[in-house]
Amino acid sequence: MTLETLNLILLGGIVLGALYALMATGLALVWTTLGIFNFAHGTFIALGAYIAWQIASTEASGAGLLAGAAVSIIGMFVIGMLVYYLLIKPFERSPDIVVKSVITTLAGATILENVINLVWGPRNKQLSPLLGGDMSILGITISRNEMAVVALAIVILAALGVFLQRAPLGRAMRAVAQNREAAQLMGIDVERLYAIAFGLSAALAALAGILIGSIRFMNPSMGSDPLMKALIVVIFGGIARFTGPIYAAFIVGLLEAVMTYLVGLYWSPTVLFAIMIVVLVAKPEGLFGRYRKSV
Amino acid sequence: MTDTLLLDVRALDGGYEPLQIFRKIDLSLAQGASVGLFGPNGHGKTTFLRTLSGIIDPWDGDIFFDGVQLNRPGARGSRRWRNFNYDAITRRRMDPKAVARAGLIHVPQGNLLFPDMTVAETLSIAPYASRGRANAAETLDKVFRLFPRVHERLGHKIRFLSGGERQMVAIGVGLMAAPKLLILDEPTLGLSPKLRGELASAIQTIRGSGVPLIVVDQDIAFLEELIDTLYLFDHGRISRRIEKADMPTHEEIMKLMFGEDHH
Repeated sequence: MTLETLNLILLGGIVLGALYALMATGLALVWTTLGIFNFAHGTFIALGAYIAWQIASTEASGAGLLAGAAVSIIGMFVIGMLVYYLLIKPFERSPDIVVKSVITTLAGATILENVINLVWGPRNKQLSPLLGGDMSILGITISRNEMAVVALAIVILAALGVFLQRAPLGRAMRAVAQNREAAQLMGIDVERLYAIAFGLSAALAALAGILIGSIRFMNPSMGSDPLMKALIVVIFGGIARFTGPIYAAFIVGLLEAVMTYLVGLYWSPTVLFAIMIVVLVAKPEGLFGRYRKSV
Repeated sequence: MTDTLLLDVRALDGGYEPLQIFRKIDLSLAQGASVGLFGPNGHGKTTFLRTLSGIIDPWDGDIFFDGVQLNRPGARGSRRWRNFNYDAITRRRMDPKAVARAGLIHVPQGNLLFPDMTVAETLSIAPYASRGRANAAETLDKVFRLFPRVHERLGHKIRFLSGGERQMVAIGVGLMAAPKLLILDEPTLGLSPKLRGELASAIQTIRGSGVPLIVVDQDIAFLEELIDTLYLFDHGRISRRIEKADMPTHEEIMKLMFGEDHH
C-alpha cells in the first residue's frame, strides 16, 4: 500500500464518517428524547435530497443549490413534525410504544418511499456539488466538494451540540429525554418538544441527503443503506453522550473505507457487524456509553 | 366561594386505567393556608397528587386553582371496550403544562430529576419553561440561602448527588418556578434523621416566607408545625378532615386510621 492509497482511504473514511455522524446524530436525537427508533429516518434522507433537487436542479425549478437546501431543510422539519403527530403521538401513552413505533415508522418509510417513486420516478438523479474543482493538501488531490461536506457536517454538529448544552430549548430537550415526568411537572411542553426533536432530526436527515446527493447518485431507496450504517453507529457509540455517535461515526467510516480496500465492498459490512458485536459484548452500552437510558 | 379559596377540589375521581385509585376527594385550601395529607402507603395519596398536577387525567370531578378550572369539566366518557385506544380519539382532560404555568408546582416523591444535567442547568430550566423568569436571580439566591449545599454542588451532575442533596435540588427546582402553591410529596422520605431535620427546617422557612404548601408525610409532629388542616387518606378516600386546633396525637391518629391500639 502506498502512502497515497492510504491517504485516499483515510479521506474516503472521513467523508463517510461525516455523513454517518450527521445521520446518526439525527437518529440519536429522536432515540434519546422520545425513546423510540425512527425507521423512516432513511427515507427522510431520500425525501430531503429529492426536495432539494426539485428546487435546485436545472432540470426542475433551477433556483440553485442554496435555495434548494433551504427549502428542503425547512420542509423536512415540518414533515418530521407531521410524521410525529401522525405516527408516534397516538401511541404516546401506550406502554409498548417502542415496539409499535417500529411498525408505524416502517410503514411511514414505505409510504414515503413510494411517494418519492411516484413523484420523481425511479431514475437516478444528482445534485450539483457544493463546490467545484479539486484542491491539494499535503501532496494529495481531493475534491473541494468532499472537503465542504466534511466541514459543513462538523459545523452543523458543533452548532447542535452548543444548542443542546446552552440554549433553554436545548436544555429542556435534554431534560425531557432524561426524565419526562419531572420535565412535565416543571411546565415543559413535552409534546411540543417531541415534535421539535422529530423535526430537527428530519432536518438533519435532509442535510445528510443533500450532501449525499452532491457526492453520489440519488434514488428513492438511497436512504436504506445509510440508515443501516447510522443504526450501527448509534449502537456502536452509545447514546449516553451527544458526542458518542459522532466519534463512532468517524470510526465506522474509517473502518468501512479500510475494509472496502482490504476485503472488498461485499465483505466490509460483514466485518463491520462482526466488530460491532465484539464491541457490544465487551461494552454493552456502546463504545463511549456509560449507562443505558431505559426505554 | 372559589374566590377565597386557592385550591378547591370537588368530588375528584381518578386512577390508573382500568383501576380506580381514589374516589370523591374533596379538598380545599384557603388563600395563604397549608394542608397536610396523611395516610398509609398505597392508599392513593401520590396518585391523587399526580392527578392534581395533570400527569394523569382525572376521571370525574372539578379542580379549581386560583379561580380557574384546571381540568375539563364533566365526567369522562365511558371506556367500555378495554382493548380500544381511547387516547387516539379523546383529548386529554388536563394539561400538566397549564397546571405548572398556573403556579401549582409539584415536587414528586423521590424525584430523580435529570441524572446527566448539572445542578445549575437543572435550576435554570423551570424559569424558562414556565414561570419565575422575572425574579429568577433573586429566587436562586433564596434557594442558595435555604440550601447552602446546593450552592456547593452547582457544577455537579445530579446523578452524583446524595439522596438528601437531590431532594434539596428538587425543592429548589420547585421554588424556581415561583409557586403559588407547592406540593411536597414525602420530602423527607428515606433520609437520615439529621438530614430530615435540616430539610424540615428549610421547609418551615419556605412556609414562613409565604408559600402555601400541600405536604404528604408520615411524621405527624412535622406536619403539625407546618399546616392548618390535616386530611386523613384512607383507601382512596378522605376519611377525616382535622383543623389545627383539634390536631390529635400520633397515637390518636393511629387509632383513627387502624381502629386499634398499636402500642
